[in-house]
Amino acid sequence: MVASACLTLAAIHLLIWSMNRAAWANLLFSLSALATAALAGCEYWMMRAQTPAEYATALRWHHIPIWVIFVTTVGFVLVHLRAGRRWLAWTVCALRTLSLLLNFTVGQSLQYLEITHLRSIRFLGESVSGAVGVRNPLLLIGQVSALLWLVFLADAAAAVWRRGERRQAAVGGTIAFFALATTVQAVLVFGQVIAAPFAASPFFLAVIAAMGYELTREVLRTAQLSVSLRESEERMTLAADAAGFGIWMWESARNRLWASERGRHQLGFTSGEPLSIPAMLQHIHPDDREAVHRGLKLAGEAMGEWRAEYRVPLPDGTYRWIVARSRMYPDAASGMPARMLGVTVDITARKTAEQALEMQRDELVHLARITTLNEFSNSLAHELNQPLAIILTNAQAAQRLLAQTPPDLAEARDILADIVSEDQRAGEVIRRLRSLLKHGQSQLLPLSVNTIVEDALRIAHSELIGRGITVHTALAASAPKIAGDRIQLQQVLLNLILNACEAMAANPPASRHLTLASAHNGGIIRISVSDTGCGLPSDAESIFKPFYTTRKDGLGLGLSICRSIVTAHHGRLWAEAHGAAGHSLGAAAARPAATLHLELPAVT
Amino acid sequence: MPAEGTVFLLDDEPGMVKALTRLLKAEGYAVRAFTSAKAFLESYQPQALGCLVLDVAMPEIDGMELQRRLTRSGALLPIVFLTGHGDIPMSVQAIKAGAEDFLTKPVNDADLLRAVRAALQRAALQCELIAETALLQRRHSTLTVREREVMAHIVAGELNKVAAARLGVGEHTIKVHRARVMEKMGVESLADLVRAAERLGLETPADPNED
Repeated sequence: MVASACLTLAAIHLLIWSMNRAAWANLLFSLSALATAALAGCEYWMMRAQTPAEYATALRWHHIPIWVIFVTTVGFVLVHLRAGRRWLAWTVCALRTLSLLLNFTVGQSLQYLEITHLRSIRFLGESVSGAVGVRNPLLLIGQVSALLWLVFLADAAAAVWRRGERRQAAVGGTIAFFALATTVQAVLVFGQVIAAPFAASPFFLAVIAAMGYELTREVLRTAQLSVSLRESEERMTLAADAAGFGIWMWESARNRLWASERGRHQLGFTSGEPLSIPAMLQHIHPDDREAVHRGLKLAGEAMGEWRAEYRVPLPDGTYRWIVARSRMYPDAASGMPARMLGVTVDITARKTAEQALEMQRDELVHLARITTLNEFSNSLAHELNQPLAIILTNAQAAQRLLAQTPPDLAEARDILADIVSEDQRAGEVIRRLRSLLKHGQSQLLPLSVNTIVEDALRIAHSELIGRGITVHTALAASAPKIAGDRIQLQQVLLNLILNACEAMAANPPASRHLTLASAHNGGIIRISVSDTGCGLPSDAESIFKPFYTTRKDGLGLGLSICRSIVTAHHGRLWAEAHGAAGHSLGAAAARPAATLHLELPAVT
Repeated sequence: MPAEGTVFLLDDEPGMVKALTRLLKAEGYAVRAFTSAKAFLESYQPQALGCLVLDVAMPEIDGMELQRRLTRSGALLPIVFLTGHGDIPMSVQAIKAGAEDFLTKPVNDADLLRAVRAALQRAALQCELIAETALLQRRHSTLTVREREVMAHIVAGELNKVAAARLGVGEHTIKVHRARVMEKMGVESLADLVRAAERLGLETPADPNED
């Protein structure tokens, strides 16, 4: 009965251990139970022994399960209850092992040097065998080990109690109590104090029961945990769903990908399609796939965090924008990468809005540019007219020279060369105009600020003459290049020039001075546009606000768009007032009233 | 045949100056070209016979400003304006201020040459006029005080008798003075004498009825 109960418990916990190799307590318990079953067998053998020799053999063999029980209970206390002194544990195991060795080498067993005869004992209404013989003095070692075992168990139980884990302490106490009972019984039986057969297995069964109770609770708790885990997972999925998050997890050891329903959908999986990392990558837009793959791999190896925005093409030809975030978690025991937990969010709406905004911004910048160019239309027409006028006059002069006798061929040749260069100049004006009118996405290329200043001055040339403005330039030699969109930066400069012109409209012609300067300091390049005009409002910043204008027909977007262009270039645009008004005559006429500074970072 | 005189050219665009020079030289004109008003003013002699082909839009001193300065200094230099984008008010202003012509670039050679020829002719005419006036002034200065008085009364259209009464002399004396005046002023008829007086800007004697 004891044996079958123990075998059943052993089988159950062996099964548990086989499913979870980390559950050492279950293995130890199984071994204890098996040993107790074996012990029960040996005891039954001893009770039924007919000869002293048979009894002695049974007695000898029963030390093996005893040894196993000692070692496994010590192990159980150490592993499961996480209590007990290690040195005591080692001493108990060492002494017990020594007892086992002596048991097989000295006399007939650890108890008897020699069993002289058997006697019949009445036990539970039956007649069983007991031994009478010469006692082995080395039994003391076994008894010391048993005593230390008791001390170890009691000490461990007390430690657990002190730790406040009352239930575990009770289990430890029970184990200690029945161990004590077994030991006392053994001492009494083998000291022939009482006439009873050696029967430790029922006590051990109680020990096993106590251990079993503890472990069964553990099993039940695990089951409960799994239920609450599932509930918590459901709650989390629900919350994630409500927030629009998809969640997914990848276990590296088993290469298994799991995802919540929304996660599956966001990753591009159809319902019922098996989840896997290669399939997940396959669902990503080909342009983004490589980057995602690389990022995932890197995060997996470095156990870091990974974030990516990528597209998942949809059957209708559009695509979904996904932002994915994940982190690799290490295995608790080995510290190796084990699980990657990830969250996905559909950001298509945000991306679409961003793109629409970008397009609107481009549109506005373009519109502002056309407005600016409109201001320079006279200037541009003149720039184009000039070479055409030169070409006409040259051509007509040539006609006359060729009509002479003899024709002046040398001069005619010079004229043709001039016509060619003037024509190229006209072409250049048209090219510049077309590029300014062009509607394209901004592209950043290395540029020289001086070239931008000179180009802008070329466009504004006739306008400035027409307005009677004297232009001064102070351009820095060999300034480093900046990364910028040539057209947009020209637009900014044209606007600044135009604003300066407007500010000086009320000045007498002799005091209309425009100064364009460039300078560089470290990695920063500055362009300054100064004028001798009417100065700035007291709140100089206000000129950059949208719809700020001093003109009746102005939209007031020029400078605000200029600032947005400069900001997009990682630069700064600000205004500086110089105090004294620029209207004064004489030498001070060229003293600026206001300067607009434009700073851009150099290309590194 | 090109008209007499120098064509002064002033445009801030060197290419334009070069082309215009070629065209005018091909027509046999003497050309002096400048690319800034300052350079032109430095070398210009007011008595030189010629005309100015002038670009309106120039930095610092522009065409209109230069015209003003020349007028102020009393220079009689006919100006042919050239402009890239001439508007009507500007051309009206220029013509009112005495410009010979106002042409828009690109300018046709025939138009330009016609304007230049006309400007030079006017310059020549003005020169002649100036010389004539100078001669008359010289002659007028040789008259005695009495002769000048008599001349004033005659050109005012008074009969000898009336003039004699107003000057308090005999009619014969007036006749003698009148002959001396005609002779000294180098005129044949009363009409010529009146024109000479006009040219000299002489004042007519005060009307006694106004006293």
